[in-house]
Order: sequence, then structure tokens, then C-alpha cells
Amino acid sequence: MPLDTSTYGLAHLRLDGRRWNELRRIHGQISTQAAADGSAYFEQGNTKLLCTVTGPQEPKRGGGSSRDQSNEAKVEVEINVAAFSGMDRKKRTRGDKRVQEMQYTIASAFQSTIFTHLYPHSTITLNLHVLSQDGSLLACALNAATLALIDAGVPMSDYVSACTVASAPSSDQSLDEQDPLLDLNGLEEQELPFLTVGTSGEEGKVLVLIMETRVQVGRLEAMVSVGLDGCRQIRGILDGMVREHGKQVLESRMS
Amino acid sequence: MANGTAKPPGLAFSRETFAKLTPGPFLQAHLQQPEPIRPNGRSLDAFRTPTIHTGSLSHSNGSAVVRLGDTAIVCGVRAEILLASDIPHPPGEDTSEDDLVERLGLLVPNVELSTGCSPGHLPGNPPSTVAQALSYRILSLLHTSNLINADDLRILYTEPASEDDLPDEGSKVVTKAFWALYIDVLCIALDGNPFDAAWAAVISALKSTQLPKAWWDPDREMILCSPLATETHGLRLDDIPVASTFAVFSTGSALKQRSEAESWVLADPDGFEEDVCSETVTAVARSDDGGVGSITRLEKSGGGAIGKAAMGRCVHMAQQRWREWQGVLHGG
Repeated sequence: MPLDTSTYGLAHLRLDGRRWNELRRIHGQISTQAAADGSAYFEQGNTKLLCTVTGPQEPKRGGGSSRDQSNEAKVEVEINVAAFSGMDRKKRTRGDKRVQEMQYTIASAFQSTIFTHLYPHSTITLNLHVLSQDGSLLACALNAATLALIDAGVPMSDYVSACTVASAPSSDQSLDEQDPLLDLNGLEEQELPFLTVGTSGEEGKVLVLIMETRVQVGRLEAMVSVGLDGCRQIRGILDGMVREHGKQVLESRMS
Repeated sequence: MANGTAKPPGLAFSRETFAKLTPGPFLQAHLQQPEPIRPNGRSLDAFRTPTIHTGSLSHSNGSAVVRLGDTAIVCGVRAEILLASDIPHPPGEDTSEDDLVERLGLLVPNVELSTGCSPGHLPGNPPSTVAQALSYRILSLLHTSNLINADDLRILYTEPASEDDLPDEGSKVVTKAFWALYIDVLCIALDGNPFDAAWAAVISALKSTQLPKAWWDPDREMILCSPLATETHGLRLDDIPVASTFAVFSTGSALKQRSEAESWVLADPDGFEEDVCSETVTAVARSDDGGVGSITRLEKSGGGAIGKAAMGRCVHMAQQRWREWQGVLHGG
């Protein structure tokens, strides 16, 4: 059991040595591919993603009358899970429902953040490549996509940052002493009930909240508030990456 | 009186517009200069410098990321166990068969180009002919070059001596299972010459592959693996072949005399040059012990513009390229 209750209760350290509110090592690189309009590489622990943005551009599959009705850009997301990314080698087929659901979630999150009214009748395509999966896949995908969209220069209202939160297993101790755990890795995700929360903006407007496992209602509020705080931390990290990259670009232009 | 002596203004295009409208004459204009140069600034014989990073993926037995200019390719190697009892006609123990790897299908490369790596390869589509051809070329090159020794992929078991055996026969070593390597190549960005980059990614990933220590447990009748990183072993890959691809740009056409056509050989074509040239040559070079170099594979298709002399130059350049790659492969 990854969260063997006895050892967790003793030192309150998780399997990888983190405390309940610590994020994994986050590393990101902006503008990794010169050929794409915008690109970013993002890692959160061992979950590694590459995101490229093409657009805004003409819709590929012909206009059609339905497209002409909307005066906004359309955000399309394609997720490519590499066969070597997970614990077992699995080739994901095109119609994989889990992947489709994730694509839809990401697309709708950015549809509301991006200033789509500036690019009517056009399409912004996000291509996410999952190179390694170790938990928090949807959260990392949202973070990677944010960085790539910023690199592409697509105007958005704010960063979209996301993270996962779990509820520590119940023990013989009182129910009040349940720590929500921030930023799960693969093992923890399999064993514990968890939710993914994605926010936008400094004040933490919730854009995405997905939970597929069962948890007691009383724990939910604590999990969500820890999640919002985690998203704020990640937002700060993403902001730092973007500013660092901007400084480098400016310096290379000056010299 | 004439309207004026002013000449009508000539058409002036920017370089990018010229390249988009008439790519062929654009390239030809570059190549026909006294010092021929390509639109990307390289000379005719210049290859792009590769950068390789290995071992970055945690869930794979081996991995590599190769960047060749703007072409970026990721390769992951996963090892899975093929039990000898699952093979319909298991091979014998004594014969060291060269084609064991091929017969049992122990190497399974797959090149994925439909990732959005270039506008011509949109995700969600079934593999195009280019991708299928690449997968097959890599597979056949792996087999014909005998790169992987089948003995590295065996999981052996020493049977304990039983009463039936003669006292001086010694214990029998049988192969209980094989490692099958699934080599997945993912193209992240494509700017021409996917074969060279994909092959480089495959050999770098295989070089960095670590297989866990595995043994046959007779009581549980299954293969067990050790989780310790110190007990892994790599693959023996001596004499790694290196691929070099060339594109041939020719002004020949059906309307002209063959002798009037000019042609140029461009080493390591990028995306723009690949679209314009229909003829390609790929030479895979390997070393001989004497360092003279041997050619493992020679592929040519798309036209007849270059003759024996130019082919000889391509082969020579491929051998040169092999020397350059040794530094990158062993140094990185």
C-alpha cells in the first residue's frame, strides 16, 4: 500500500518523502520547437508532457454553415499518449474515451479563458504529447497548454493552473485529522480518492473540477481549498517560468 | 507623345513569398550561383549537427531524444517477456542462429508520424505511407545489420541435475523466455529527413536500454525480475551503423534533353528541400575493424539524375558522417 497508514501517521511523510502540502519537482521550458506557433515542455515529477499550439488559423475541415454562426475562435485539443509513457506498454487507439474526455475538458477550459472573440471563424489547435505518466495527467496537461499558449502569443485572461488533491485514508484516529494530500503521483492516484482542480487568475476562479472516485462529503471542502492553494503556487511557478523566458528573449534581442 | 519614359515597376517579392510561390526555381537560383548554397544557409555537403539526450523517460527501459536541426524525435524502448512455451516451434539451444531475432520478432519498431509534427501529418489519422515505410525500413535495417545479439535477449535457466542424467554430462542450460523489445518512435517536430533522426533515436535508445535481471522460478513456473537498478544489464551493441540521407535536386524534365539537365546532391535535406526534390539516396555506413568502413545498406529511389560518380560521393560522405556520429553517440 503506498500510503501505509502506520508509517504515514508516524512521520506524516508520503512514499516519496513529501509532506501533505508539497508539490513535486516542477520544470518547464518554453519555445522548445521553432516550427510550431507556440510550444512548451512541462514536467511535474515524472509526468512529462510536450505541448504545441498551432493557430489561430483557418479551420481545417472546411467552413460549413455551423462554423460560420459563431463569431469566436474554436479551441481543439488532441492528446497523443506515447506507448512507452505508462507502466504497461499500451497503444492508445483514436477513439479512447478517457482521452476524448480529457481533450474535451481542456478545450472547454481554454475556450473560456482565451479571448476567442478576437479571432472569429478560426481554430486554435493544441497538440499534447504525453511522454511519461506518473499521476496528475490532466493537471499537467492544463499547465503545459498554458505555457504553450503564452509562447504562441494567444491572448488569454490569465494563466490556467491545475493540480490534484487526494484525501488521506481514514484511520482509527478522529475524522478531523485527515490531511488532504497535494499533487499525487501514479501510485497515490491509483489507491486514493482524488480530484483535479484547475483555476484561473490570482483569486482562483475554478475552471475545472473533476472527481471520479468516492469521498466523504465532509472532506470535500478541505480538499478543494488545499487544491486552490496548490493552484496558486503553481500559478506563481508558471509565471516565474514565463518571465524568465521573456528575459532571455529580450537579452538575446538586445545583444 | 509617349505617356512617359518611366518604366513600369518590376515585380519585387520578398524571399519568403518567392519560396512559397515557386519553390523549385527558388532553390535552383540558390544552387546555380558560383558558390552554391542552400536556402537554409548550409553548403551542399553540410549535415546538421545532431544533439542526443538519453535516459530521460522513467517508465521505459531505454529512451532517447534526438534533435537534428528542427527535426525532433523521441524514442522509447520497452522490454516485455516472451515465454518460450508460447512459441509454436521453439528454436533449439545449440544452434546460434543469426535470424533468431527476426524469426521470433523480438524487435518491434513503430514510427508514429501522425502527431501534428508538421502540417502534413495531422494527429488522429492512421499511419501514412511515409510512416509505414519508415517503420519497415528501420525494422529491416535492424535485422540485416544484426545489431542486437539474440543471446542478450535470452533468459536462461540452469536445470538442476536429475537422477536420469549421466554423471559427467553437466547441467543443461535452457532458454525459458526471451525479451521482446518494443521500440516506439514518436516524431515531435519534422523538418525533413525523418529516417536519419529516427534511426539515430533508435540506436541511442537501444544503447541506453537496461534490462532487469530475470530468472525462471521453477516453483511458481514464471519469470521473476529483480527490481534493483544495480542488477540490470545493457545490450551489447558494437559497431553501430549510421544512416545518411541525401536528396537530389534536378532541373531535368520530360521536355528537355537529358544531357541539359543539371542536378545537385543535397546532404541531410530539410522540409523545404524534401518537398521540392523527388529523388533520395540513403546510405548506411558501418565500420570495419580496419576503420575503412563498410556499407550496410544503400537505398535509392525517385529518379535517375545521379550516376555512378555521384553515388560514390554519397557513399564517401556517408562514411565521413559515420565518423562524426561516433563522437556524438559515445560522447553524449
